[in-house]
Amino acid sequence: MSTPASDPGTGDADRELTMSRAMVDAIASEMRADDEVFYMGEDVQDYGGIFDSTEGLLDEFGRDRVVDAPISETAYVGAAVGAAQAGMRPIAEIMFADFVGVCLDQVYNQMAKNTYMSGGSFNVPMVLTTAVGGEYNDAAQHSQTLYGLFSHLPGMKVVVPSTAYDAKGLMHAAVRDDDPVVYMFHKRLMGIGWMPAPEGPKTPVPDEDYTVPLGEADVKREGEDATVVTLGLHVHRALDAADRLADDGTEVEVIDLRSLVPFDTETVLDSVEKTGRLVVVDEDYQSFGVTGEVIARVAERAPDALEAVERVAIPDVPIPYSRPLEKEVNPQVEDIVAAVESVE
Amino acid sequence: MIVDVDSESVWPADADDVDEAVVANWFVREGGAVDAGDTLCEIQIEKVSVDVTAPESGTLAERVVPENGEFRRDDVLARIETD
Repeated sequence: MSTPASDPGTGDADRELTMSRAMVDAIASEMRADDEVFYMGEDVQDYGGIFDSTEGLLDEFGRDRVVDAPISETAYVGAAVGAAQAGMRPIAEIMFADFVGVCLDQVYNQMAKNTYMSGGSFNVPMVLTTAVGGEYNDAAQHSQTLYGLFSHLPGMKVVVPSTAYDAKGLMHAAVRDDDPVVYMFHKRLMGIGWMPAPEGPKTPVPDEDYTVPLGEADVKREGEDATVVTLGLHVHRALDAADRLADDGTEVEVIDLRSLVPFDTETVLDSVEKTGRLVVVDEDYQSFGVTGEVIARVAERAPDALEAVERVAIPDVPIPYSRPLEKEVNPQVEDIVAAVESVE
Repeated sequence: MIVDVDSESVWPADADDVDEAVVANWFVREGGAVDAGDTLCEIQIEKVSVDVTAPESGTLAERVVPENGEFRRDDVLARIETD
Protein backbone atom coordinates (compact mmCIF):
# COMPACT_ATOMS: atom_id res chain seq x y z
CA MET A 1 0.00 0.00 0.00
CA SER A 2 1.45 3.35 -0.92
CA THR A 3 1.65 6.13 1.60
CA PRO A 4 1.43 9.87 1.05
CA ALA A 5 4.65 11.77 0.67
CA SER A 6 4.14 13.37 4.05
CA ASP A 7 4.07 10.07 5.92
CA PRO A 8 7.26 9.87 7.96
CA GLY A 9 7.38 6.13 8.13
CA THR A 10 6.46 2.92 9.76
CA GLY A 11 4.77 4.41 12.78
CA ASP A 12 6.05 2.51 15.75
CA ALA A 13 6.13 4.24 19.13
CA ASP A 14 9.32 6.05 18.16
CA ARG A 15 7.54 8.05 15.48
CA GLU A 16 6.37 11.57 16.19
CA LEU A 17 4.29 13.60 13.77
CA THR A 18 3.50 17.25 13.34
CA MET A 19 -0.19 18.08 13.53
CA SER A 20 -0.39 18.62 9.76
CA ARG A 21 1.11 15.21 9.01
CA ALA A 22 -1.19 13.53 11.53
CA MET A 23 -4.20 15.20 9.91
CA VAL A 24 -3.08 14.12 6.43
CA ASP A 25 -2.39 10.61 7.76
CA ALA A 26 -6.05 10.27 8.78
CA ILE A 27 -7.42 11.80 5.57
CA ALA A 28 -5.25 9.49 3.43
CA SER A 29 -6.36 6.46 5.40
CA GLU A 30 -10.04 7.38 5.01
CA MET A 31 -9.53 8.00 1.27
CA ARG A 32 -7.92 4.58 0.86
CA ALA A 33 -10.77 2.91 2.72
CA ASP A 34 -13.62 4.65 0.91
CA ASP A 35 -13.65 5.96 -2.69
CA GLU A 36 -16.45 8.38 -1.75
CA VAL A 37 -14.08 10.45 0.39
CA PHE A 38 -12.49 13.35 -1.49
CA TYR A 39 -10.92 16.74 -0.67
CA MET A 40 -11.83 20.07 -2.24
CA GLY A 41 -10.53 23.57 -1.61
CA GLU A 42 -8.20 26.33 -2.72
CA ASP A 43 -4.52 25.46 -3.27
CA VAL A 44 -5.06 21.98 -1.84
CA GLN A 45 -3.80 20.21 -4.96
CA ASP A 46 -0.24 21.00 -6.14
CA TYR A 47 0.36 23.38 -3.24
CA GLY A 48 -0.70 20.79 -0.64
CA GLY A 49 -2.68 23.35 1.33
CA ILE A 50 -1.11 26.62 2.36
CA PHE A 51 -0.87 25.24 5.92
CA ASP A 52 0.11 21.71 4.73
CA SER A 53 -3.38 20.31 5.36
CA THR A 54 -3.26 18.17 2.18
CA GLU A 55 0.52 17.79 1.70
CA GLY A 56 1.22 14.61 -0.30
CA LEU A 57 -2.41 13.67 -1.02
CA LEU A 58 -2.27 14.62 -4.71
CA ASP A 59 0.56 12.16 -5.43
CA GLU A 60 -1.39 9.24 -4.04
CA PHE A 61 -4.97 10.07 -5.00
CA GLY A 62 -4.74 12.24 -8.12
CA ARG A 63 -6.69 15.23 -9.34
CA ASP A 64 -10.14 13.65 -9.30
CA ARG A 65 -10.04 13.18 -5.54
CA VAL A 66 -7.88 16.12 -4.48
CA VAL A 67 -9.62 18.99 -6.19
CA ASP A 68 -8.54 22.62 -6.56
CA ALA A 69 -11.69 24.71 -6.68
CA PRO A 70 -12.10 28.18 -8.17
CA ILE A 71 -12.06 31.03 -5.66
CA SER A 72 -15.74 30.73 -4.89
CA GLU A 73 -16.35 29.21 -1.49
CA THR A 74 -20.08 29.40 -2.12
CA ALA A 75 -19.66 27.18 -5.19
CA TYR A 76 -17.46 24.49 -3.77
CA VAL A 77 -18.87 24.35 -0.25
CA GLY A 78 -22.29 24.13 -1.90
CA ALA A 79 -20.98 21.38 -4.19
CA ALA A 80 -19.71 19.52 -1.15
CA VAL A 81 -23.11 19.76 0.53
CA GLY A 82 -24.74 18.34 -2.60
CA ALA A 83 -22.16 15.57 -2.93
CA ALA A 84 -22.68 14.64 0.71
CA GLN A 85 -26.45 14.50 0.27
CA ALA A 86 -25.91 12.28 -2.78
CA GLY A 87 -23.92 9.79 -0.70
CA MET A 88 -20.30 10.94 -0.98
CA ARG A 89 -18.16 11.97 1.99
CA PRO A 90 -16.52 15.24 0.95
CA ILE A 91 -13.98 17.22 2.90
CA ALA A 92 -14.10 20.89 1.89
CA GLU A 93 -11.56 23.43 3.12
CA ILE A 94 -12.09 27.12 3.72
CA MET A 95 -8.51 28.37 3.59
CA PHE A 96 -9.00 30.82 6.47
CA ALA A 97 -11.97 30.63 8.86
CA ASP A 98 -12.14 34.40 8.38
CA PHE A 99 -13.54 33.80 4.87
CA VAL A 100 -16.61 31.88 6.01
CA GLY A 101 -18.63 35.03 5.48
CA VAL A 102 -18.55 34.64 1.71
CA CYS A 103 -20.19 31.20 1.91
CA LEU A 104 -22.08 31.46 5.16
CA ASP A 105 -25.42 30.57 3.62
CA GLN A 106 -24.02 27.28 2.33
CA VAL A 107 -22.54 26.55 5.75
CA TYR A 108 -25.27 27.44 8.20
CA ASN A 109 -28.44 27.30 6.12
CA GLN A 110 -27.57 24.34 3.85
CA MET A 111 -24.81 22.17 5.37
CA ALA A 112 -26.07 22.58 8.94
CA LYS A 113 -29.82 22.48 8.31
CA ASN A 114 -30.57 20.28 5.30
CA THR A 115 -30.96 17.13 7.39
CA TYR A 116 -33.59 18.89 9.49
CA MET A 117 -35.24 20.74 6.60
CA SER A 118 -35.63 17.53 4.59
CA GLY A 119 -37.25 15.74 7.49
CA GLY A 120 -34.35 13.34 7.55
CA SER A 121 -34.65 12.44 3.86
CA PHE A 122 -31.05 13.56 3.48
CA ASN A 123 -28.09 13.73 5.74
CA VAL A 124 -24.91 15.70 5.08
CA PRO A 125 -21.86 13.58 6.00
CA MET A 126 -19.20 16.16 5.13
CA VAL A 127 -16.24 17.71 6.91
CA LEU A 128 -15.54 21.41 6.61
CA THR A 129 -11.88 22.04 7.43
CA THR A 130 -10.57 25.51 8.08
CA ALA A 131 -7.42 27.20 9.39
CA VAL A 132 -7.74 29.44 12.42
CA GLY A 133 -5.72 31.65 14.69
CA GLY A 134 -3.19 34.39 14.71
CA GLU A 135 -0.11 35.97 16.22
CA TYR A 136 1.95 35.83 13.09
CA ASN A 137 1.10 39.34 11.82
CA ASP A 138 -1.56 38.46 9.29
CA ALA A 139 -3.91 41.22 10.44
CA ALA A 140 -7.61 41.41 11.24
CA GLN A 141 -9.02 39.44 8.30
CA HIS A 142 -6.64 36.44 8.49
CA SER A 143 -6.09 35.90 12.21
CA GLN A 144 -9.43 35.08 13.78
CA THR A 145 -10.54 31.78 15.24
CA LEU A 146 -14.31 32.48 15.15
CA TYR A 147 -14.82 29.48 17.45
CA GLY A 148 -17.91 31.09 18.92
CA LEU A 149 -19.48 31.95 15.58
CA PHE A 150 -19.21 28.39 14.22
CA SER A 151 -20.35 26.84 17.51
CA HIS A 152 -23.33 29.17 17.84
CA LEU A 153 -25.03 27.79 14.74
CA PRO A 154 -27.01 24.59 15.39
CA GLY A 155 -26.72 21.55 13.15
CA MET A 156 -23.00 21.09 12.86
CA LYS A 157 -20.36 19.61 15.14
CA VAL A 158 -17.21 21.63 15.78
CA VAL A 159 -13.80 20.21 16.75
CA VAL A 160 -10.46 21.90 17.49
CA PRO A 161 -7.40 19.63 17.91
CA SER A 162 -4.38 20.80 19.90
CA THR A 163 -1.99 17.90 19.32
CA ALA A 164 -1.00 15.58 16.50
CA TYR A 165 -2.53 12.61 18.34
CA ASP A 166 -5.88 14.36 18.72
CA ALA A 167 -5.72 15.76 15.16
CA LYS A 168 -5.56 12.27 13.68
CA GLY A 169 -8.22 10.76 15.93
CA LEU A 170 -10.62 13.67 15.49
CA MET A 171 -10.20 13.59 11.70
CA HIS A 172 -11.06 9.89 11.56
CA ALA A 173 -14.11 10.55 13.73
CA ALA A 174 -15.14 13.57 11.66
CA VAL A 175 -14.99 11.78 8.29
CA ARG A 176 -16.90 8.78 9.65
CA ASP A 177 -19.61 10.90 11.27
CA ASP A 178 -22.89 10.96 9.35
CA ASP A 179 -23.46 14.67 10.07
CA PRO A 180 -21.49 17.79 9.14
CA VAL A 181 -18.37 18.39 11.22
CA VAL A 182 -16.35 21.60 11.19
CA TYR A 183 -12.69 20.75 11.78
CA MET A 184 -10.77 23.87 12.84
CA PHE A 185 -6.99 23.49 12.77
CA HIS A 186 -4.76 26.16 14.29
CA LYS A 187 -2.09 27.35 11.87
CA ARG A 188 0.53 27.69 14.58
CA LEU A 189 0.07 24.09 15.71
CA MET A 190 0.57 22.52 12.27
CA GLY A 191 4.37 22.35 12.49
CA ILE A 192 5.12 24.53 9.48
CA GLY A 193 8.74 25.62 9.35
CA TRP A 194 8.09 29.31 8.77
CA MET A 195 5.33 29.63 11.38
CA PRO A 196 6.24 30.22 15.04
CA ALA A 197 5.02 27.20 17.01
CA PRO A 198 4.95 26.14 20.65
CA GLU A 199 6.48 22.93 22.00
CA GLY A 200 3.82 20.31 22.42
CA PRO A 201 1.62 19.79 19.34
CA LYS A 202 4.09 17.29 17.86
CA THR A 203 3.35 13.98 19.58
CA PRO A 204 3.75 10.26 19.04
CA VAL A 205 1.05 9.11 16.61
CA PRO A 206 0.09 5.46 16.12
CA ASP A 207 0.24 4.24 12.53
CA GLU A 208 -3.10 2.44 12.76
CA ASP A 209 -6.49 4.16 12.58
CA TYR A 210 -8.15 5.29 15.80
CA THR A 211 -10.85 7.80 16.68
CA VAL A 212 -11.00 10.53 19.28
CA PRO A 213 -14.76 10.66 19.99
CA LEU A 214 -16.49 13.92 19.12
CA GLY A 215 -17.69 15.63 22.29
CA GLU A 216 -15.03 14.42 24.72
CA ALA A 217 -12.78 16.92 26.42
CA ASP A 218 -9.34 15.81 27.57
CA VAL A 219 -7.69 16.61 30.89
CA LYS A 220 -4.20 17.47 29.65
CA ARG A 221 -2.87 18.06 33.17
CA GLU A 222 -4.38 17.21 36.54
CA GLY A 223 -4.43 19.61 39.49
CA GLU A 224 -6.36 20.38 42.65
CA ASP A 225 -6.18 24.16 42.99
CA ALA A 226 -7.71 25.70 39.86
CA THR A 227 -9.26 24.63 36.55
CA VAL A 228 -8.17 26.18 33.26
CA VAL A 229 -10.53 25.37 30.38
CA THR A 230 -9.21 26.16 26.92
CA LEU A 231 -8.64 24.83 23.39
CA GLY A 232 -6.33 24.96 20.39
CA LEU A 233 -3.10 26.95 20.68
CA HIS A 234 -3.91 28.07 24.20
CA VAL A 235 -3.83 24.51 25.56
CA HIS A 236 -0.06 24.79 25.22
CA ARG A 237 0.03 28.23 26.81
CA ALA A 238 -2.12 26.97 29.68
CA LEU A 239 0.26 24.03 30.19
CA ASP A 240 3.20 26.47 30.27
CA ALA A 241 1.30 28.61 32.79
CA ALA A 242 0.58 25.50 34.88
CA ASP A 243 4.30 24.66 34.92
CA ARG A 244 5.13 28.12 36.21
CA LEU A 245 2.38 28.09 38.81
CA ALA A 246 3.49 24.65 40.02
CA ASP A 247 6.84 26.20 40.90
CA ASP A 248 4.94 28.36 43.39
CA GLY A 249 2.91 25.45 44.71
CA THR A 250 -0.32 25.97 42.74
CA GLU A 251 -1.55 22.84 40.95
CA VAL A 252 -3.62 23.72 37.90
CA GLU A 253 -5.88 21.31 36.03
CA VAL A 254 -5.84 22.01 32.27
CA ILE A 255 -8.85 20.89 30.25
CA ASP A 256 -8.56 20.79 26.47
CA LEU A 257 -12.13 21.01 25.15
CA ARG A 258 -11.22 19.41 21.77
CA SER A 259 -14.91 19.57 20.77
CA LEU A 260 -17.05 22.67 21.12
CA VAL A 261 -20.11 20.91 19.69
CA PRO A 262 -21.03 18.55 21.27
CA PHE A 263 -19.75 20.17 24.45
CA ASP A 264 -18.40 17.99 27.26
CA THR A 265 -20.01 19.76 30.19
CA GLU A 266 -19.39 16.85 32.57
CA THR A 267 -15.60 16.96 32.38
CA VAL A 268 -15.61 20.70 33.09
CA LEU A 269 -18.09 20.35 35.95
CA ASP A 270 -16.18 17.47 37.56
CA SER A 271 -13.04 19.58 37.57
CA VAL A 272 -14.65 22.73 38.94
CA GLU A 273 -16.35 20.72 41.68
CA LYS A 274 -12.88 19.59 42.68
CA THR A 275 -11.03 22.92 42.41
CA GLY A 276 -13.76 25.54 42.93
CA ARG A 277 -11.87 27.97 40.74
CA LEU A 278 -12.38 28.38 37.01
CA VAL A 279 -10.36 30.26 34.42
CA VAL A 280 -11.51 30.04 30.78
CA VAL A 281 -8.97 30.95 28.11
CA ASP A 282 -10.02 31.54 24.51
CA GLU A 283 -8.44 32.93 21.35
CA ASP A 284 -11.80 34.23 20.13
CA TYR A 285 -13.46 37.51 21.04
CA GLN A 286 -14.57 37.76 24.64
CA SER A 287 -18.22 38.78 24.25
CA PHE A 288 -20.96 36.30 23.25
CA GLY A 289 -18.41 33.50 22.88
CA VAL A 290 -16.73 30.39 24.28
CA THR A 291 -15.70 31.93 27.62
CA GLY A 292 -19.22 33.08 28.45
CA GLU A 293 -20.70 29.73 27.38
CA VAL A 294 -18.35 27.66 29.54
CA ILE A 295 -18.93 29.84 32.58
CA ALA A 296 -22.72 29.82 32.06
CA ARG A 297 -22.81 26.01 31.89
CA VAL A 298 -20.95 25.75 35.19
CA ALA A 299 -23.01 28.52 36.81
CA GLU A 300 -26.28 26.85 35.78
CA ARG A 301 -25.37 23.41 37.07
CA ALA A 302 -22.98 23.89 39.97
CA PRO A 303 -23.26 27.45 41.29
CA ASP A 304 -22.26 26.34 44.78
CA ALA A 305 -19.04 24.77 43.53
CA LEU A 306 -17.90 27.96 41.83
CA GLU A 307 -15.90 30.01 44.30
CA ALA A 308 -14.16 32.25 41.80
CA VAL A 309 -14.10 32.70 38.03
CA GLU A 310 -12.09 34.62 35.48
CA ARG A 311 -11.89 34.70 31.70
CA VAL A 312 -9.05 35.55 29.36
CA ALA A 313 -9.90 36.14 25.71
CA ILE A 314 -9.31 38.51 22.81
CA PRO A 315 -10.91 41.86 23.62
CA ASP A 316 -13.74 42.90 21.31
CA VAL A 317 -11.51 44.60 18.76
CA PRO A 318 -10.20 43.71 15.29
CA ILE A 319 -6.93 41.80 15.67
CA PRO A 320 -4.05 44.22 15.05
CA TYR A 321 -1.36 43.74 12.41
CA SER A 322 1.28 45.38 14.60
CA ARG A 323 3.39 42.74 16.33
CA PRO A 324 3.34 44.25 19.85
CA LEU A 325 -0.34 45.17 19.60
CA GLU A 326 -1.33 41.70 18.39
CA LYS A 327 0.64 40.15 21.25
CA GLU A 328 -1.17 42.49 23.61
CA VAL A 329 -4.66 41.32 22.59
CA ASN A 330 -3.87 37.57 22.28
CA PRO A 331 -3.75 35.84 25.69
CA GLN A 332 -0.16 35.09 26.72
CA VAL A 333 1.20 32.65 29.28
CA GLU A 334 1.64 35.56 31.73
CA ASP A 335 -2.02 36.52 31.30
CA ILE A 336 -3.10 32.99 32.21
CA VAL A 337 -0.77 32.93 35.23
CA ALA A 338 -2.21 36.27 36.39
CA ALA A 339 -5.80 35.08 35.91
CA VAL A 340 -5.16 31.91 37.95
CA GLU A 341 -3.48 33.95 40.68
CA SER A 342 -6.47 36.31 40.73
CA VAL A 343 -8.93 33.50 41.52
CA GLU A 344 -6.79 31.87 44.21
CA MET B 1 28.31 0.63 12.78
CA ILE B 2 27.55 4.35 12.88
CA VAL B 3 26.17 5.94 9.72
CA ASP B 4 26.11 9.70 9.26
CA VAL B 5 22.98 11.34 7.86
CA ASP B 6 23.34 14.48 5.82
CA SER B 7 21.18 16.49 3.46
CA GLU B 8 23.26 16.07 0.30
CA SER B 9 21.00 13.50 -1.39
CA VAL B 10 17.86 15.60 -0.95
CA TRP B 11 19.32 19.05 -1.59
CA PRO B 12 17.15 20.54 -4.37
CA ALA B 13 18.90 21.10 -7.69
CA ASP B 14 17.49 24.61 -7.91
CA ALA B 15 19.05 25.47 -4.55
CA ASP B 16 22.63 24.82 -5.66
CA ASP B 17 23.52 28.43 -4.94
CA VAL B 18 22.33 28.08 -1.34
CA ASP B 19 24.57 26.72 1.38
CA GLU B 20 22.46 27.15 4.52
CA ALA B 21 19.32 25.48 5.81
CA VAL B 22 17.41 24.89 9.03
CA VAL B 23 15.94 21.75 10.63
CA ALA B 24 12.21 22.52 10.91
CA ASN B 25 11.03 19.28 12.54
CA TRP B 26 12.46 16.09 13.96
CA PHE B 27 10.13 13.09 13.78
CA VAL B 28 12.20 10.49 15.64
CA ARG B 29 13.57 10.78 19.15
CA GLU B 30 17.16 9.94 20.02
CA GLY B 31 17.18 6.24 20.80
CA GLY B 32 14.20 5.60 18.52
CA ALA B 33 14.16 2.75 16.02
CA VAL B 34 14.14 3.64 12.32
CA ASP B 35 13.77 1.68 9.11
CA ALA B 36 15.70 2.66 6.01
CA GLY B 37 13.54 5.16 4.13
CA ASP B 38 11.69 6.50 7.19
CA THR B 39 11.54 10.25 7.36
CA LEU B 40 13.85 11.44 10.11
CA CYS B 41 13.41 15.17 9.84
CA GLU B 42 12.14 17.99 7.69
CA ILE B 43 14.58 20.66 6.63
CA GLN B 44 13.86 24.05 5.12
CA ILE B 45 16.02 25.54 2.40
CA GLU B 46 14.90 29.06 1.56
CA LYS B 47 11.32 28.21 2.65
CA VAL B 48 11.24 24.96 0.65
CA SER B 49 10.54 21.96 2.89
CA VAL B 50 12.38 18.72 2.17
CA ASP B 51 12.19 15.44 4.08
CA VAL B 52 15.43 13.69 5.04
CA THR B 53 15.12 9.91 5.22
CA ALA B 54 17.13 7.27 7.03
CA PRO B 55 19.82 5.75 4.76
CA GLU B 56 19.97 2.58 6.91
CA SER B 57 17.83 0.79 9.48
CA GLY B 58 18.88 1.01 13.09
CA THR B 59 18.66 3.32 16.06
CA LEU B 60 18.80 7.10 15.88
CA ALA B 61 21.87 7.52 18.04
CA GLU B 62 22.17 11.30 17.87
CA ARG B 63 20.43 14.35 16.51
CA VAL B 64 23.46 16.47 15.70
CA VAL B 65 21.49 19.54 14.59
CA PRO B 66 18.62 20.42 16.94
CA GLU B 67 15.13 21.49 15.90
CA ASN B 68 15.24 25.06 14.55
CA GLY B 69 19.03 24.67 14.29
CA GLU B 70 20.85 26.02 11.25
CA PHE B 71 23.40 24.00 9.33
CA ARG B 72 25.60 24.13 6.22
CA ARG B 73 25.00 21.94 3.23
CA ASP B 74 27.44 19.10 3.99
CA ASP B 75 26.99 19.12 7.78
CA VAL B 76 26.04 15.89 9.54
CA LEU B 77 22.42 16.10 10.75
CA ALA B 78 22.18 12.84 12.67
CA ARG B 79 23.91 9.54 13.35
CA ILE B 80 22.31 6.12 13.02
CA GLU B 81 23.66 3.04 14.76
CA THR B 82 22.85 0.26 12.32
CA ASP B 83 21.30 -3.07 13.36
